[in-house]
Amino acid sequence: MDDVISGAYVFTVERSTRGYALNKMANSLSSPSNRTTFQSDEAGYMRGLGCSDEEIELVRRRDWKGMMEHGASIYLLLKIGAAVGVPLPEIGAHTAGLTLAEYQARKAS
Amino acid sequence: MATVIGGIGTSHAPTIGVAWDRGQQKEPMWAPLFDGYVPARQWLDEVRPDLFLIVYNDHVNQFFFDAYPTFALGVGATHAQADEGWGKRALPDLPGDPDFAWHLARSLVNDEFDPTICQEMALDHGVLSFLPLLTDTDWKVPVVPLAVNVIQHPIPTPRRLYRLGSALGRAIASYPKDRRIVVFGTGGLTHQLHGTKFGTKNAAWDNEFMDRLETEPAGLSELTTQDYMERGGTEGVEMIMWLAMRGALGKSVKRVHRNYTAPMTTGYGLLVLET
Repeated sequence: MDDVISGAYVFTVERSTRGYALNKMANSLSSPSNRTTFQSDEAGYMRGLGCSDEEIELVRRRDWKGMMEHGASIYLLLKIGAAVGVPLPEIGAHTAGLTLAEYQARKAS
Repeated sequence: MATVIGGIGTSHAPTIGVAWDRGQQKEPMWAPLFDGYVPARQWLDEVRPDLFLIVYNDHVNQFFFDAYPTFALGVGATHAQADEGWGKRALPDLPGDPDFAWHLARSLVNDEFDPTICQEMALDHGVLSFLPLLTDTDWKVPVVPLAVNVIQHPIPTPRRLYRLGSALGRAIASYPKDRRIVVFGTGGLTHQLHGTKFGTKNAAWDNEFMDRLETEPAGLSELTTQDYMERGGTEGVEMIMWLAMRGALGKSVKRVHRNYTAPMTTGYGLLVLET
């Protein structure tokens, strides 16, 4: 489906399966107490929920594009973003391969 | 007997809720959006509905991919607010209408639509971002929410949503109690929240969609999911919820109000139709 919707990561069953652990971890951040635990030790929290070293590294690097490629849903990236203080424009720009400034410049042009 | 008195198509977005909470209704960027809701609210005040049936989508706040329903109906007496990750807003829980909702469940299943029945269904910005723009937030009008999967593919087809709308119309017509019901379809309009086309909108398609929804919705329902994603973005596919609203209204409608603005990453549309 990505072939016809160029440049997008359509959230298919295949992506949902591959990204399940990462998405499940992100979903747990809907709870305020989980957000606090995550914020105090991101890697430990993620490991405790069954995330792989690769997934922990993607989050550590704030590699939003990499997370999408791995199988994250954009709505769950927003939950990770909320917990670490990164808003949608920055996440979206990163998935487009742009910095926030580059995205804003493109938008303005 | 219950009747559909009209339908409202509206976008939803977390940013609308944030701007509303911050009191930014009169700021230049936001005024075209918030002012656009005033005539819709006036219409609601005039027609005095006593139930809102809202076809919307959850954004992985009530449901997760362990069990993601294609259709889900909230039959509870109240609907809590979901924490989407930013903490809850200062809004009370919404009242439901279990008697109508269970009637709707029976009617839909008999009509070969089979929603997951939810006695608890926390609502996210899919409902709560636009609702404060249309009613007082003491929520005098009960809400029956019907969630549609537009997140995890395969998602139901546009035609399926249009037909769902017809089934909603039949369910309302067969409800024995006197109720004046407004049906909502909420989502879109065009937006692309990720990938190389992040932030792309398509105002021409948004407006064509609102034109045709009024006059020839069957044609819109024959487009494919792929058509919607190509024209309006992978997240813009939420527009198909408007087809359910339109399908519930029957053949001909009268337009009461329409508005369009796009200050952020989403095309914000509003359409009020009377039966």
